[in-house]
Amino acid sequence: MDVTEMKNTVREFILAEFLPGESSANLKDDTPLRTSGVLDSMATLKLVSFVEDKFGIEVEAHEAGVENFDRISDIAALIERKKGA
Amino acid sequence: MSTEREELIRAALEFGRRAFPEDRPTGEAEGEFNRAGWKQLAEFGLFGMPVPASHGGLGLGLGDVIAVMETLGYAIADQGLLFSANAHLWTNVIPVLIYGTAEQKQEYLPRMASGEWIGANAGSEPDAGSDIFAMRTRAVKTATSYVLNGTKTFCTNAQVADVFVAYATLDPALGPMGITSFVVPRSTPGVTVGKHIDKMGLRTSPMGEVIFEDCEIPLANRLGREGRGAQVFECAMEWERGCILANCLGVMRRQLEKAIAHCQTRKQFGKSIGKFQSVANRIVDMKLRLETCRPLVRRIGELKDSGKAADLEAAMAKLYVSECYVKSSLDLIQLFGGYGYTTEQGVERDLRDAVGSTLYSGTSEIQRNIIAKCLGL
Ligand SMILES: Cc1cc2nc3c(=O)[nH]c(=O)nc-3n(C[C@H](O)[C@H](O)[C@H](O)COP(=O)(O)OP(=O)(O)OC[C@H]3O[C@@H](n4cnc5c(N)ncnc54)[C@H](O)[C@@H]3O)c2cc1C
Repeated sequence: MDVTEMKNTVREFILAEFLPGESSANLKDDTPLRTSGVLDSMATLKLVSFVEDKFGIEVEAHEAGVENFDRISDIAALIERKKGA
Repeated sequence: MSTEREELIRAALEFGRRAFPEDRPTGEAEGEFNRAGWKQLAEFGLFGMPVPASHGGLGLGLGDVIAVMETLGYAIADQGLLFSANAHLWTNVIPVLIYGTAEQKQEYLPRMASGEWIGANAGSEPDAGSDIFAMRTRAVKTATSYVLNGTKTFCTNAQVADVFVAYATLDPALGPMGITSFVVPRSTPGVTVGKHIDKMGLRTSPMGEVIFEDCEIPLANRLGREGRGAQVFECAMEWERGCILANCLGVMRRQLEKAIAHCQTRKQFGKSIGKFQSVANRIVDMKLRLETCRPLVRRIGELKDSGKAADLEAAMAKLYVSECYVKSSLDLIQLFGGYGYTTEQGVERDLRDAVGSTLYSGTSEIQRNIIAKCLGL
């Protein structure tokens, strides 16, 4: 899966789970998720579990903060790093 | 409905009526746990119903278990005992079944499924109720164990429990991602069951504090991944919210039958009170509530049996059924007049039991918050 597909998979999950009815055009790669309140801590946990299952990686608790989970591009970068590691 | 499920319902009804004859006192006033009743439920196989045969259970689908629970709620007056059974099933048996390692399942499930061991959920704390993941009970990891320190409250079954599924945080700064869950046998040094908490209803279901004081839990007793206890908790709550009110459907059915019988026989102004429209309307509302509640609970069985998530549906069922249960209980008292308010008729007991249902497993307000969130609000 390339980075664009990765981002779209994450985007679709966020839209379906946390932003039902929202157009995908409004959820850009750099739209803030945690700092804007789209994702609270429980929603982040759900997203982390999804990312782990979907991409076969393990995210540690300290890696689930704003630095890796505030934007789709950050999430994709984390997945890439983990998969490359 | 399949013939197997019909057969199961018949068996549950026959068992409930035989093992718990209505005139037998159940220690309500004294707040006594009915241990003999627990054993009978165990012998009937209730605690192993959702557990696969390989772990000592009957391997039934959730739809079947819900049907049995509804029937037992109808047949058995002691809702406190059934509440204890629910707490054991949904907050202990199910999390171990879903998140347990092979060793944990082998060690705990047969004892939980047979009812030999009673489980309790140690989640809530004095300052962490609705905001459960603000819990302060700490888990400090060492080379061989986790050391727990903290006080839990509102633990159903605490006094009679043999095992706790307990939650603690590794670091409060991590929020829900710091929560970790554990299976803690009561015999573990450092576990104390604190004071008994007296309640207005469900009085035969014990409730107490559980204190962990330098309680060393082997690494092997962690349930699920480190930092994923919030997931275990949410999973237990999804099952509990969805299923715990199945009994109450049975109670609402019993209340409806009682209401009809009473209003057909009680005469005022020369005719049965059921002939007064405002009285009949109250019974019509009771019937409507029962019929609209049932599909919400049964839907949880269908969803879970097909491996689907039911967060939204469980919250809707919990909210709607609990609120209807309270209304139905108030209606029955009103229909019985002054007799409904006396303790002799056993009618007021239902109301005291029902009020708790809008609080446990997340209050009505919290269910509304969950539903709103699922709707994207
Ligand atoms: C019969 C019974 C059995 C129980 N068994 C167990 C058990 O086995 N294990 C266990 O761990 N716990 C158990 N509990 C505890 C139960 O889960 C809590 O009581 C419940 O979650 C509410 O927490 P609280 O009592 O601290 O109330 P609080 O959280 O202090 O709430 C007080 C009021 O504020 C409202 N409120 C709080 N936050 C919000 C919000 N965000 N939005 C809107 N309203 C809000 C609540 O709805 C409520 O009306 C049990 C409770 C009862 C009544």
